[in-house]
Amino acid sequence: MILRLAFKNIIHNGYRSLVNIVVVSIVLIIMVWTQAMYYSWIRLAETQQKDWEYGKGMLRVKTYDPYDPLSYEDSHAPIPEELRSGVEQGDLLPVLLAPATIYPQGRMLSAIIKGIPAEQDILVFPSDKLSAQQSDIIPVLIGSAMAKSTRLDQGDIFSIRVRDVNGAYNAVDAIVQEVLPIPAPSADMGTIWMNLDLMRDLRGAPHSASYFVLGDSRYQDTHTRDFRFIDRDEYFADLDQMLDNERFQQVLMYALLVFLAMIAIFDTQALAVFKRRKEIGTLAALGFTKAKIILLFTLEGSIYTLLAIIATPILGFPLFYYFSTAGFPVIDGYDEFGLPGFTEPIKFIYPIYEILIVFLVILLFTIFVSWLPTRKIAKMNPVDALRNKVD
Amino acid sequence: MKEIVANITNMSKSFPTGEGDFWALKNINLSFERGEFSGFVGPSGSGKTTLLNILGSLDTPSKGEVEVLGNQIHKINQLQAARLRSRHIGFIFQTYNLLPVYNVYENVEFPLLLMKMDANKRDKMVKEAIEWVGLSDKVKSRPNQLSGGQCQRVAIARAMVKKPDLVLADEPTANLDTENSLNILDTMFKLNRELSTTFIFSTHDPKVIDYLKRVIRLRDGEVASDDPAPGI
Repeated sequence: MILRLAFKNIIHNGYRSLVNIVVVSIVLIIMVWTQAMYYSWIRLAETQQKDWEYGKGMLRVKTYDPYDPLSYEDSHAPIPEELRSGVEQGDLLPVLLAPATIYPQGRMLSAIIKGIPAEQDILVFPSDKLSAQQSDIIPVLIGSAMAKSTRLDQGDIFSIRVRDVNGAYNAVDAIVQEVLPIPAPSADMGTIWMNLDLMRDLRGAPHSASYFVLGDSRYQDTHTRDFRFIDRDEYFADLDQMLDNERFQQVLMYALLVFLAMIAIFDTQALAVFKRRKEIGTLAALGFTKAKIILLFTLEGSIYTLLAIIATPILGFPLFYYFSTAGFPVIDGYDEFGLPGFTEPIKFIYPIYEILIVFLVILLFTIFVSWLPTRKIAKMNPVDALRNKVD
Repeated sequence: MKEIVANITNMSKSFPTGEGDFWALKNINLSFERGEFSGFVGPSGSGKTTLLNILGSLDTPSKGEVEVLGNQIHKINQLQAARLRSRHIGFIFQTYNLLPVYNVYENVEFPLLLMKMDANKRDKMVKEAIEWVGLSDKVKSRPNQLSGGQCQRVAIARAMVKKPDLVLADEPTANLDTENSLNILDTMFKLNRELSTTFIFSTHDPKVIDYLKRVIRLRDGEVASDDPAPGI
């Protein structure tokens, strides 16, 4: 009965109800859109990092600290006995890295050389292109960000100087076999990829690796004397940190939007309690308790949000559909910042569970905001209400 | 001896004002039997509506005792008062006070919904009440589609549908022309006779006074006279 009366009152309110529903719905559309953008971006970034660098996990040599360039020189160790079968079976992908100096067009630049087996299927990295050596010049692959920063292009020949494990310098000429659109910044920026065997020769470190990419999850949590498992949280710590920062901004924006929507509902409710005093008195005379009258008004306010939640997928459909198919465009220059997930349009995926939680939170806010002005009803004398008397 | 529906003993009611308490009702002693068709008559400010509101448990006395259908109005809590109103008392207001979002049927049905009556019985009683007031052809109409007289008839049907023990009518004809006033008075008089419902009016309309079987004149919050009247 109360629900039916609340619905009828909302319909009777006409355009005022419509404005409230549309305002709340617009807020929800923006929230869903933002939520989907962050979610899809992070998912894309994580997928790309996994496809291009992390696989199903990583076993990293203990001396290697990606944040400390001075550690790169000693970031290698012989492949431990217990991991050899995994390497042979193709379940573990060894990568050997070393700091290097490169000389593109006579300029001198620092870089990291990474050696990867030409034949592997753990990463989507097209390492087979590294086996196409036809002369003394070593074929290498670089990413587009690296090509841009070094001004190297496909077919360019340049020199690489690497120190072997005994401290002696080795130099080779390399040719850029292909410039790859590598979406994982850590596999692109400052990195030159070459065949693992050649890399081991250059370093004088046969059977060594700096890290293993896991192609089989059974190696997760494996720890050896020289290698330790890098779990998802450690590997994606930067990404998570960035997401946390973004989330803070997101929460601020949400708070502002929700505040505006709640003002609209609060205003409507306050006006309703003021304008409908006589109705409140009548309901009391008919036998409604004050609690029931408060419930009626609170329900009316909450129904605005419920209807807005229903209207959100309908009103937002064109926008949601467009971004799920065409995707959020890559902003020019963003790839240079080393932000993962910004190399291709972000096609939106809508995280239903998270969106439902947002809706639920908004609904709870609405119930509170709808109830707030109705506290006056509890203090209202039914006789004064019937007389339309203002306190 | 007839059953006593309401009994007022040494009852006074005051309202706070800037200059101290204003006594709207002073030392009222009255008793109402089942089936009465009586009314408080007096000029504006004589305390008619206040007395009616106290009898309807919408207000409480400041002094004295008021018992309505076995409920001590001076002691009753909000929940008990709401229950008393929803089951035993019908209200008819000067300005009809219909719910604007409901049609005639829904307005009349409303008190029965509050009583959680089952649908079949409810439907029968609503149709019966609408028939009493002669609005069977207007069941789907909203209050804004009805005339003042029709609205007041809906209000009467709403007050009577649950067959209450007591109906309190506050200036029910004040907004109506003579024809409509007589029409609704006839209806109420008929229902009073047929259902033995106690009607208590607050009025200064001579047309209503003509119908009353008991006229209680109030002056400055006191009972000036309490006389039986012939009724119409």
